[in-house]
Amino acid sequence: MLFFQYFFISIVLQLLFSELLTINGFQPNIMLLFVILSQMPESNTSKAVLVGFVTGLFCDLVLFSGSYIGLSSLIFSICAFMASRIRYNFVFRNFDSYWIVTLLIGIAVYCLFRYDFLFFSNFFLFLKNFLLISLYSVFVSYILVKVLSLRKIVLNA
Amino acid sequence: MIGARLFNDKNLPLFTLLICIFLSIGLIFSDSNEKVQSFRLSITENFSFLYEPFNWIDNQSFLLKRIEVLSSDNLKLNLENEILSSHKIENNYLREFLNFQNREKFDFVGSDVISRGNSSNLNTILINRGLNSGIKENNPVLSSRGVIGKVITSSKNTSEVQLISDGNFRLSVRIMPSEVEGILRWRSDTVCEIFEVKKTAKINIGDSVVTSNLSTYFPPDLPIGEVISIHDKADSFNKVIRLKLYSDLSKLNQLFVIIEGGSQ
Repeated sequence: MLFFQYFFISIVLQLLFSELLTINGFQPNIMLLFVILSQMPESNTSKAVLVGFVTGLFCDLVLFSGSYIGLSSLIFSICAFMASRIRYNFVFRNFDSYWIVTLLIGIAVYCLFRYDFLFFSNFFLFLKNFLLISLYSVFVSYILVKVLSLRKIVLNA
Repeated sequence: MIGARLFNDKNLPLFTLLICIFLSIGLIFSDSNEKVQSFRLSITENFSFLYEPFNWIDNQSFLLKRIEVLSSDNLKLNLENEILSSHKIENNYLREFLNFQNREKFDFVGSDVISRGNSSNLNTILINRGLNSGIKENNPVLSSRGVIGKVITSSKNTSEVQLISDGNFRLSVRIMPSEVEGILRWRSDTVCEIFEVKKTAKINIGDSVVTSNLSTYFPPDLPIGEVISIHDKADSFNKVIRLKLYSDLSKLNQLFVIIEGGSQ
Protein backbone atom coordinates (compact mmCIF):
# COMPACT_ATOMS: atom_id res chain seq x y z
CA MET A 1 0.00 0.00 0.00
CA LEU A 2 2.83 2.34 0.99
CA PHE A 3 4.58 1.45 -2.28
CA PHE A 4 1.61 2.52 -4.44
CA GLN A 5 1.08 5.64 -2.34
CA TYR A 6 4.64 6.81 -2.96
CA PHE A 7 4.50 5.58 -6.57
CA PHE A 8 1.58 7.93 -7.17
CA ILE A 9 3.35 10.81 -5.39
CA SER A 10 6.45 10.19 -7.53
CA ILE A 11 4.44 10.32 -10.76
CA VAL A 12 2.86 13.62 -9.72
CA LEU A 13 6.26 15.06 -8.75
CA GLN A 14 7.88 13.80 -11.95
CA LEU A 15 5.16 15.44 -14.04
CA LEU A 16 5.41 18.62 -11.98
CA PHE A 17 9.15 18.90 -12.51
CA SER A 18 9.14 17.91 -16.15
CA GLU A 19 6.21 20.10 -17.17
CA LEU A 20 6.79 23.16 -14.99
CA LEU A 21 10.25 23.12 -13.43
CA THR A 22 12.53 22.15 -16.28
CA ILE A 23 15.71 24.23 -16.27
CA ASN A 24 17.44 24.48 -19.64
CA GLY A 25 15.97 21.13 -20.64
CA PHE A 26 17.33 19.45 -17.51
CA GLN A 27 14.91 17.59 -15.24
CA PRO A 28 15.43 15.60 -12.06
CA ASN A 29 14.56 11.90 -12.33
CA ILE A 30 12.14 11.46 -9.44
CA MET A 31 11.04 8.00 -10.61
CA LEU A 32 14.62 6.76 -10.34
CA LEU A 33 14.82 8.10 -6.79
CA PHE A 34 11.54 6.32 -6.01
CA VAL A 35 12.84 2.99 -7.32
CA ILE A 36 16.11 3.29 -5.37
CA LEU A 37 14.47 4.23 -2.08
CA SER A 38 11.55 1.82 -2.37
CA GLN A 39 13.83 -1.14 -3.08
CA MET A 40 16.35 -0.45 -0.31
CA PRO A 41 14.30 -2.32 2.34
CA GLU A 42 13.44 -5.14 -0.11
CA SER A 43 15.28 -8.30 0.96
CA ASN A 44 14.25 -10.26 -2.14
CA THR A 45 16.61 -8.88 -4.79
CA SER A 46 14.90 -10.70 -7.68
CA LYS A 47 11.61 -9.08 -6.77
CA ALA A 48 13.34 -5.69 -6.49
CA VAL A 49 14.85 -6.09 -9.97
CA LEU A 50 11.47 -7.02 -11.45
CA VAL A 51 9.81 -4.06 -9.74
CA GLY A 52 12.53 -1.81 -11.18
CA PHE A 53 12.06 -3.29 -14.63
CA VAL A 54 8.26 -2.92 -14.64
CA THR A 55 8.40 0.60 -13.19
CA GLY A 56 10.96 1.54 -15.84
CA LEU A 57 8.80 0.14 -18.62
CA PHE A 58 5.81 2.06 -17.31
CA CYS A 59 7.90 5.26 -17.27
CA ASP A 60 9.19 4.68 -20.81
CA LEU A 61 5.68 4.13 -22.15
CA VAL A 62 3.76 6.76 -20.19
CA LEU A 63 6.07 9.37 -18.71
CA PHE A 64 9.37 9.49 -20.60
CA SER A 65 8.09 9.98 -24.11
CA GLY A 66 11.43 11.33 -25.28
CA SER A 67 13.65 8.40 -24.42
CA TYR A 68 14.24 4.95 -25.85
CA ILE A 69 11.79 2.25 -24.78
CA GLY A 70 13.72 -0.01 -22.46
CA LEU A 71 16.25 2.58 -21.30
CA SER A 72 14.50 3.31 -18.01
CA SER A 73 13.79 -0.37 -17.42
CA LEU A 74 17.50 -1.08 -17.91
CA ILE A 75 18.58 1.66 -15.51
CA PHE A 76 15.85 1.03 -12.95
CA SER A 77 16.63 -2.72 -12.90
CA ILE A 78 20.32 -2.07 -12.25
CA CYS A 79 19.62 0.59 -9.61
CA ALA A 80 16.97 -1.59 -7.91
CA PHE A 81 19.49 -4.45 -7.82
CA MET A 82 22.10 -2.20 -6.22
CA ALA A 83 19.60 -0.73 -3.76
CA SER A 84 18.27 -4.11 -2.71
CA ARG A 85 21.72 -5.67 -2.10
CA ILE A 86 22.58 -3.19 0.61
CA ARG A 87 22.66 -4.29 4.26
CA TYR A 88 20.66 -2.58 6.99
CA ASN A 89 23.68 -1.45 9.04
CA PHE A 90 25.27 0.13 6.02
CA VAL A 91 22.08 1.98 5.11
CA PHE A 92 21.74 3.17 8.66
CA ARG A 93 25.19 4.76 8.58
CA ASN A 94 25.45 5.85 4.93
CA PHE A 95 21.87 6.37 3.81
CA ASP A 96 22.35 9.65 1.96
CA SER A 97 25.66 8.81 0.32
CA TYR A 98 24.33 5.42 -0.89
CA TRP A 99 21.21 6.71 -2.64
CA ILE A 100 23.15 9.64 -4.09
CA VAL A 101 25.81 7.31 -5.57
CA THR A 102 23.14 4.95 -6.97
CA LEU A 103 21.22 7.90 -8.43
CA LEU A 104 24.40 9.24 -10.05
CA ILE A 105 25.12 5.86 -11.64
CA GLY A 106 21.60 5.83 -13.09
CA ILE A 107 21.96 9.39 -14.40
CA ALA A 108 25.35 8.57 -15.92
CA VAL A 109 23.78 5.74 -17.97
CA TYR A 110 20.94 8.05 -19.00
CA CYS A 111 23.44 10.66 -20.18
CA LEU A 112 25.44 8.04 -22.11
CA PHE A 113 22.35 7.35 -24.22
CA ARG A 114 21.10 10.93 -24.35
CA TYR A 115 24.41 12.58 -25.19
CA ASP A 116 26.14 9.67 -26.95
CA PHE A 117 27.15 11.94 -29.86
CA LEU A 118 28.79 14.41 -27.45
CA PHE A 119 30.60 11.63 -25.59
CA PHE A 120 32.72 10.98 -28.68
CA SER A 121 32.84 14.44 -30.27
CA ASN A 122 33.00 16.83 -27.31
CA PHE A 123 33.64 15.09 -24.02
CA PHE A 124 33.75 18.28 -21.95
CA LEU A 125 30.28 19.30 -23.12
CA PHE A 126 29.07 15.80 -22.29
CA LEU A 127 30.60 16.15 -18.83
CA LYS A 128 29.02 19.57 -18.37
CA ASN A 129 25.56 18.23 -19.24
CA PHE A 130 26.05 15.23 -16.96
CA LEU A 131 27.15 17.45 -14.07
CA LEU A 132 24.24 19.86 -14.51
CA ILE A 133 21.64 17.08 -14.65
CA SER A 134 23.28 15.35 -11.68
CA LEU A 135 23.42 18.52 -9.61
CA TYR A 136 19.79 19.37 -10.28
CA SER A 137 18.62 15.81 -9.64
CA VAL A 138 20.59 15.40 -6.42
CA PHE A 139 19.54 18.84 -5.17
CA VAL A 140 15.83 18.19 -5.75
CA SER A 141 16.07 14.59 -4.47
CA TYR A 142 17.89 15.69 -1.31
CA ILE A 143 15.17 18.23 -0.52
CA LEU A 144 12.47 15.60 -1.12
CA VAL A 145 14.24 13.06 1.09
CA LYS A 146 14.48 15.60 3.91
CA VAL A 147 11.01 17.14 3.53
CA LEU A 148 9.19 13.81 3.26
CA SER A 149 11.41 12.19 5.95
CA LEU A 150 12.15 9.33 3.58
CA ARG A 151 15.14 8.07 5.57
CA LYS A 152 12.89 7.21 8.50
CA ILE A 153 10.33 5.54 6.24
CA VAL A 154 12.96 3.46 4.43
CA LEU A 155 14.69 2.36 7.64
CA ASN A 156 11.40 1.43 9.31
CA ALA A 157 10.03 -0.47 6.31
CA MET B 1 21.28 -30.84 -11.76
CA ILE B 2 23.58 -28.08 -12.98
CA GLY B 3 20.55 -25.97 -13.91
CA ALA B 4 19.12 -26.38 -10.43
CA ARG B 5 22.46 -25.40 -8.94
CA LEU B 6 22.67 -22.35 -11.20
CA PHE B 7 19.17 -21.20 -10.27
CA ASN B 8 19.64 -21.51 -6.53
CA ASP B 9 18.79 -18.66 -4.19
CA LYS B 10 22.26 -17.19 -4.41
CA ASN B 11 22.32 -16.80 -8.17
CA LEU B 12 18.65 -16.07 -8.81
CA PRO B 13 18.89 -12.27 -8.32
CA LEU B 14 21.81 -12.09 -10.73
CA PHE B 15 19.95 -14.15 -13.32
CA THR B 16 16.87 -11.97 -12.93
CA LEU B 17 19.02 -8.90 -13.42
CA LEU B 18 20.68 -10.35 -16.51
CA ILE B 19 17.31 -11.31 -18.03
CA CYS B 20 15.97 -7.80 -17.34
CA ILE B 21 19.09 -6.25 -18.87
CA PHE B 22 18.78 -8.40 -22.02
CA LEU B 23 15.07 -7.62 -22.31
CA SER B 24 15.74 -3.89 -21.89
CA ILE B 25 18.54 -3.90 -24.48
CA GLY B 26 16.23 -5.81 -26.84
CA LEU B 27 13.58 -3.12 -26.33
CA ILE B 28 16.11 -0.33 -26.89
CA PHE B 29 17.16 -1.85 -30.21
CA SER B 30 13.55 -2.28 -31.31
CA ASP B 31 12.79 1.36 -30.49
CA SER B 32 12.65 2.42 -34.14
CA ASN B 33 10.28 -0.43 -35.02
CA GLU B 34 7.01 0.98 -36.38
CA LYS B 35 4.81 -1.37 -34.36
CA VAL B 36 6.63 -0.48 -31.13
CA GLN B 37 6.34 3.23 -31.93
CA SER B 38 2.61 3.06 -32.66
CA PHE B 39 2.03 0.95 -29.51
CA ARG B 40 3.90 3.51 -27.46
CA LEU B 41 2.02 6.39 -29.03
CA SER B 42 -1.36 4.77 -28.34
CA ILE B 43 -0.37 4.21 -24.68
CA THR B 44 0.83 7.81 -24.36
CA GLU B 45 -2.40 9.03 -25.97
CA ASN B 46 -4.47 7.08 -23.44
CA PHE B 47 -2.47 8.51 -20.55
CA SER B 48 -2.34 12.08 -21.93
CA PHE B 49 -4.92 13.14 -19.29
CA LEU B 50 -2.06 13.02 -16.76
CA TYR B 51 -0.37 16.01 -18.38
CA GLU B 52 -3.44 18.18 -18.77
CA PRO B 53 -3.54 19.80 -15.29
CA PHE B 54 0.16 20.69 -15.51
CA ASN B 55 -0.22 22.15 -18.99
CA TRP B 56 -3.18 24.18 -17.80
CA ILE B 57 -1.16 25.61 -14.88
CA ASP B 58 1.75 26.33 -17.22
CA ASN B 59 -0.51 28.14 -19.69
CA GLN B 60 -2.19 30.21 -16.97
CA SER B 61 1.03 31.27 -15.30
CA PHE B 62 2.50 32.63 -18.52
CA LEU B 63 -0.71 34.00 -20.00
CA LEU B 64 -0.41 37.64 -18.92
CA LYS B 65 3.24 37.85 -19.87
CA ARG B 66 2.48 36.23 -23.20
CA ILE B 67 -0.35 38.67 -23.98
CA GLU B 68 2.03 41.56 -23.33
CA VAL B 69 4.70 40.13 -25.63
CA LEU B 70 2.16 39.28 -28.32
CA SER B 71 0.67 42.79 -28.23
CA SER B 72 4.05 44.38 -28.82
CA ASP B 73 4.90 41.77 -31.52
CA ASN B 74 1.55 42.45 -33.15
CA LEU B 75 2.25 46.16 -33.40
CA LYS B 76 5.69 45.56 -34.92
CA LEU B 77 4.29 43.04 -37.39
CA ASN B 78 1.49 45.36 -38.44
CA LEU B 79 4.02 48.04 -39.33
CA GLU B 80 6.22 45.52 -41.15
CA ASN B 81 3.20 44.10 -42.92
CA GLU B 82 2.39 47.46 -44.46
CA ILE B 83 5.86 47.68 -45.99
CA LEU B 84 5.89 44.03 -47.06
CA SER B 85 2.49 44.29 -48.77
CA SER B 86 3.82 46.86 -51.21
CA HIS B 87 7.00 44.74 -51.71
CA LYS B 88 4.85 41.67 -52.40
CA ILE B 89 2.96 43.39 -55.18
CA GLU B 90 6.23 44.55 -56.70
CA ASN B 91 7.80 41.08 -56.30
CA ASN B 92 4.81 39.32 -57.88
CA TYR B 93 4.94 41.70 -60.82
CA LEU B 94 8.69 41.11 -61.31
CA ARG B 95 8.39 37.30 -60.98
CA GLU B 96 5.64 37.31 -63.55
CA PHE B 97 7.71 39.55 -65.79
CA LEU B 98 10.74 37.22 -65.56
CA ASN B 99 8.55 34.12 -65.99
CA PHE B 100 9.43 32.52 -62.60
CA GLN B 101 7.47 29.52 -61.37
CA ASN B 102 4.94 30.29 -58.63
CA ARG B 103 5.99 29.33 -55.11
CA GLU B 104 3.97 26.62 -53.47
CA LYS B 105 1.82 27.65 -50.53
CA PHE B 106 1.49 25.68 -47.36
CA ASP B 107 -1.07 25.41 -44.58
CA PHE B 108 -0.47 25.48 -40.86
CA VAL B 109 -2.19 23.38 -38.25
CA GLY B 110 -2.06 24.87 -34.76
CA SER B 111 -1.49 22.49 -31.86
CA ASP B 112 -0.86 22.45 -28.13
CA VAL B 113 2.03 20.62 -26.51
CA ILE B 114 0.71 17.78 -24.35
CA SER B 115 3.99 16.48 -23.02
CA ARG B 116 7.52 17.77 -23.22
CA GLY B 117 9.28 14.41 -23.17
CA ASN B 118 9.33 13.89 -19.44
CA SER B 119 12.86 12.73 -18.99
CA SER B 120 16.40 13.94 -18.98
CA ASN B 121 16.25 13.06 -22.66
CA LEU B 122 14.41 16.14 -23.85
CA ASN B 123 14.48 15.37 -27.54
CA THR B 124 10.84 14.83 -28.45
CA ILE B 125 7.52 16.36 -27.47
CA LEU B 126 3.94 15.26 -27.91
CA ILE B 127 1.32 17.50 -29.55
CA ASN B 128 -2.45 17.14 -29.59
CA ARG B 129 -2.94 16.93 -33.36
CA GLY B 130 -2.51 13.88 -35.54
CA LEU B 131 -3.65 12.10 -38.66
CA ASN B 132 -7.19 13.47 -38.25
CA SER B 133 -5.81 17.00 -38.77
CA GLY B 134 -3.80 15.98 -41.82
CA ILE B 135 -0.47 15.70 -40.01
CA LYS B 136 1.92 13.14 -41.43
CA GLU B 137 5.40 11.89 -40.72
CA ASN B 138 8.21 14.39 -41.51
CA ASN B 139 5.95 17.46 -41.50
CA PRO B 140 7.93 20.51 -40.31
CA VAL B 141 6.99 21.97 -36.92
CA LEU B 142 7.38 25.64 -35.99
CA SER B 143 6.84 27.82 -32.97
CA SER B 144 5.71 31.41 -33.44
CA ARG B 145 9.40 32.33 -33.83
CA GLY B 146 10.79 29.65 -36.08
CA VAL B 147 11.57 26.01 -36.83
CA ILE B 148 11.72 23.69 -33.81
CA GLY B 149 11.59 20.20 -35.33
CA LYS B 150 9.61 17.70 -37.38
CA VAL B 151 6.91 15.09 -36.85
CA ILE B 152 8.28 11.58 -36.46
CA THR B 153 5.15 9.58 -35.69
CA SER B 154 1.44 10.31 -35.77
CA SER B 155 -1.61 8.62 -34.35
CA LYS B 156 -5.22 9.76 -34.82
CA ASN B 157 -5.09 12.64 -32.35
CA THR B 158 -1.47 13.01 -31.31
CA SER B 159 1.92 13.33 -32.94
CA GLU B 160 5.44 12.98 -31.66
CA VAL B 161 7.78 15.79 -32.66
CA GLN B 162 11.53 15.35 -32.86
CA LEU B 163 13.06 18.58 -31.61
CA ILE B 164 15.95 20.38 -33.22
CA SER B 165 17.79 19.66 -29.94
CA ASP B 166 17.80 15.94 -30.66
CA GLY B 167 21.31 14.66 -31.27
CA ASN B 168 20.24 12.94 -34.49
CA PHE B 169 18.42 15.93 -36.00
CA ARG B 170 20.03 17.43 -39.12
CA LEU B 171 18.68 20.21 -41.30
CA SER B 172 19.86 21.78 -44.52
CA VAL B 173 20.05 25.54 -43.92
CA ARG B 174 20.98 28.77 -45.70
CA ILE B 175 22.68 31.78 -44.16
CA MET B 176 21.31 35.09 -45.36
CA PRO B 177 22.19 37.39 -47.04
CA SER B 178 25.28 35.50 -48.32
CA GLU B 179 23.08 32.51 -49.30
CA VAL B 180 25.72 30.04 -48.10
CA GLU B 181 24.34 26.60 -47.35
CA GLY B 182 25.29 24.11 -44.66
CA ILE B 183 24.06 21.36 -42.37
CA LEU B 184 22.63 22.31 -38.98
CA ARG B 185 23.15 20.26 -35.84
CA TRP B 186 22.25 21.02 -32.23
CA ARG B 187 25.05 21.87 -29.78
CA SER B 188 23.61 22.95 -26.41
CA ASP B 189 20.62 24.84 -24.97
CA THR B 190 19.41 27.05 -27.83
CA VAL B 191 22.74 27.02 -29.66
CA CYS B 192 23.24 25.03 -32.88
CA GLU B 193 26.16 24.61 -35.25
CA ILE B 194 26.28 24.71 -39.04
CA PHE B 195 28.83 22.45 -40.72
CA GLU B 196 30.03 22.08 -44.31
CA VAL B 197 30.44 25.85 -44.76
CA LYS B 198 33.41 26.82 -46.90
CA LYS B 199 36.09 29.04 -45.34
CA THR B 200 35.79 31.52 -48.19
CA ALA B 201 32.11 32.21 -47.44
CA LYS B 202 31.41 35.73 -46.20
CA ILE B 203 29.37 35.43 -43.05
CA ASN B 204 28.84 38.00 -40.33
CA ILE B 205 27.60 37.80 -36.78
CA GLY B 206 23.91 38.64 -36.75
CA ASP B 207 23.18 37.08 -40.16
CA SER B 208 19.90 35.20 -40.19
CA VAL B 209 19.65 31.46 -40.82
CA VAL B 210 16.70 30.00 -42.73
CA THR B 211 15.82 26.61 -44.19
CA SER B 212 17.39 26.00 -47.59
CA ASN B 213 15.61 24.79 -50.69
CA LEU B 214 17.69 21.60 -50.60
CA SER B 215 15.71 20.15 -47.72
CA THR B 216 13.43 17.24 -48.59
CA TYR B 217 10.77 17.99 -46.02
CA PHE B 218 11.21 21.65 -45.05
CA PRO B 219 10.02 24.41 -47.37
CA PRO B 220 12.64 27.13 -48.00
CA ASP B 221 13.03 30.37 -46.05
CA LEU B 222 11.56 29.29 -42.72
CA PRO B 223 13.33 31.24 -39.95
CA ILE B 224 15.64 29.27 -37.64
CA GLY B 225 18.01 31.61 -35.83
CA GLU B 226 20.85 34.09 -36.09
CA VAL B 227 24.62 33.70 -36.28
CA ILE B 228 26.40 34.35 -32.97
CA SER B 229 29.95 33.18 -33.72
CA ILE B 230 32.17 31.90 -36.52
CA HIS B 231 34.94 29.33 -35.96
CA ASP B 232 37.69 28.53 -38.44
CA LYS B 233 39.02 25.00 -38.27
CA ALA B 234 42.77 24.83 -38.82
CA ASP B 235 42.69 21.28 -40.17
CA SER B 236 39.79 21.72 -42.57
CA PHE B 237 38.60 23.66 -45.61
CA ASN B 238 35.35 24.36 -43.81
CA LYS B 239 34.36 26.58 -40.93
CA VAL B 240 31.78 26.08 -38.22
CA ILE B 241 29.06 28.65 -37.70
CA ARG B 242 27.30 28.83 -34.37
CA LEU B 243 23.76 30.21 -34.20
CA LYS B 244 21.19 30.96 -31.57
CA LEU B 245 17.72 29.61 -32.26
CA TYR B 246 14.88 32.12 -32.37
CA SER B 247 12.67 29.65 -30.44
CA ASP B 248 13.23 28.86 -26.80
CA LEU B 249 12.92 25.06 -26.72
CA SER B 250 12.27 24.96 -23.00
CA LYS B 251 9.13 27.11 -23.34
CA LEU B 252 7.09 25.45 -26.07
CA ASN B 253 3.33 25.57 -25.67
CA GLN B 254 1.62 26.31 -28.98
CA LEU B 255 3.14 24.96 -32.17
CA PHE B 256 2.31 24.98 -35.86
CA VAL B 257 2.70 22.05 -38.21
CA ILE B 258 3.13 22.68 -41.93
CA ILE B 259 0.93 20.11 -43.63
CA GLU B 260 1.83 20.92 -47.23
CA GLY B 261 5.62 21.21 -47.63
CA GLY B 262 6.98 23.47 -50.30
CA SER B 263 9.68 21.26 -51.77
CA GLN B 264 8.65 17.67 -51.13
